[in-house]
Amino acid sequence: MRPRPAAPPTLTEDLFAPEVVADPYSYFGALREIEPVHWNERFALWLVTGYDELVWILRHHELFSSAVIRNGAGPPYPPVDPQDLPLFDEIRDFRADQLVEQDRPEHLRQRSVVHGYFTPKAMEKWRPFVRAAVAELLDDIRPRGAMDVLTDLAAPLPVRIIAEMMGVPYEDRDHLRALADGILYINRGEPYRLRPLAAAVRGIVDYAAPLVEERIDRPGPDFISVLAEGELRDVFTRHQVLVNTGLLLFAGHETTMNLICNGLLALIRHPDQWERLRADPAGMARLATEECLRYDPPVKSTQRIAAEDVEIAGRRIEKGDRLRWIMAAANRDPRVFSDPGSFDIGRQPNPHVSFGSGIHYCLGATLARIEGQEVFRGLAERFSRLELAADRIEYQPSLQFRSVKSLPVRWWV
Amino acid sequence: MKRPPPPVHIEVDHDRCVGNGMCLTFAPGVFAHNARRQSEVVDPEGDALEDILVAAENCPTAAISVIDAATGESYEV
Repeated sequence: MRPRPAAPPTLTEDLFAPEVVADPYSYFGALREIEPVHWNERFALWLVTGYDELVWILRHHELFSSAVIRNGAGPPYPPVDPQDLPLFDEIRDFRADQLVEQDRPEHLRQRSVVHGYFTPKAMEKWRPFVRAAVAELLDDIRPRGAMDVLTDLAAPLPVRIIAEMMGVPYEDRDHLRALADGILYINRGEPYRLRPLAAAVRGIVDYAAPLVEERIDRPGPDFISVLAEGELRDVFTRHQVLVNTGLLLFAGHETTMNLICNGLLALIRHPDQWERLRADPAGMARLATEECLRYDPPVKSTQRIAAEDVEIAGRRIEKGDRLRWIMAAANRDPRVFSDPGSFDIGRQPNPHVSFGSGIHYCLGATLARIEGQEVFRGLAERFSRLELAADRIEYQPSLQFRSVKSLPVRWWV
Repeated sequence: MKRPPPPVHIEVDHDRCVGNGMCLTFAPGVFAHNARRQSEVVDPEGDALEDILVAAENCPTAAISVIDAATGESYEV
């Protein structure tokens, strides 16, 4: 092993340190200004925090593999209960079959099956359904005078929409939400986390298997039928169809929850921007959602593995090295965004990287945008002022997700 | 049999293009990636109009516009 560049002496290398979880912007922002591509000795991975470096890496997919679960080295971190370790292999096999884990040419073959379902034009047809679901939730909540945004709004909304996309009956939604909640243990820190996660993974397979069987015989306009069609064309195995059904449930759930919670928190903490949105909810919702995505993104970071030796920002990355790219830091790179620490819902252009970039650009980006736009618009149309009902907001100790543990707010009815 | 393209003007908005590459898959004769791996129009007549419109529709950030050169009107994608 060649010598690695020394760590900047003033910054911790512990990415799970409470201050890093609470405020990733100060930590990764400082790192970006010192070394936009930095070797973290403790976790044995490269941290990419500069905007240009991050975009360059994501657009050179032939140099940086997405098969990080399959090829990920080492035991789970933070540690898990030792008796649960067999579950780790089971969960890894499940996740390794996801579309997001594939490289070209396989990735293009698989993405081409599902890509058409998620185009901006196709997703725009879902807007009336999303708007109605938001209205139903908010009109129900409003007389109460208080809510936990996470459990009362941000969690139920995406599950409702995903259930509709899967074409499953209304009465299944509670079960689906329980499965989605179990999947949230991915990338969490609890030592017992593999048990609820494995239960959810098995639950998804059990739940989806008869649905897939049915849609193979009688395809409909739903997303499972799209995957089933991929199986009929020999692009997907049955296992991949089941896994990617689970991926839809997971990828569309936690990320949307975080967009809603983090975005609303930013709006509450910036009353001038909330007033700006309230003055023209329909007109401002689109740009406001982009700024929420930039300012406090649902996904803080994700990973690649170097497929070749490659030099970037004066650092020599070796084949097999792990990289973690920090969208939360790139989104505040002053070389790209003026006054990057300020929350400005009229910011334009706003080329944030919260959905990634390149061939793996988030398949659900348009849907997430529509959900964010309709939620922020719906809130601004109904509430004159929302107030935080907690002294401090705590976050899940995850490197990947920027997830509040709860978001209590109140208002005067 | 695909019909020859009418004269169209194709634009890629580089503030929006994220280099997803789907346009290169659907209309490889028209689009290519530049050094930043963003899409560029290299030959507006390189593919049939149907394929160009499919490429535009499949852009995940709606960065591609196709304009009828004679009328100046945008194609609905």
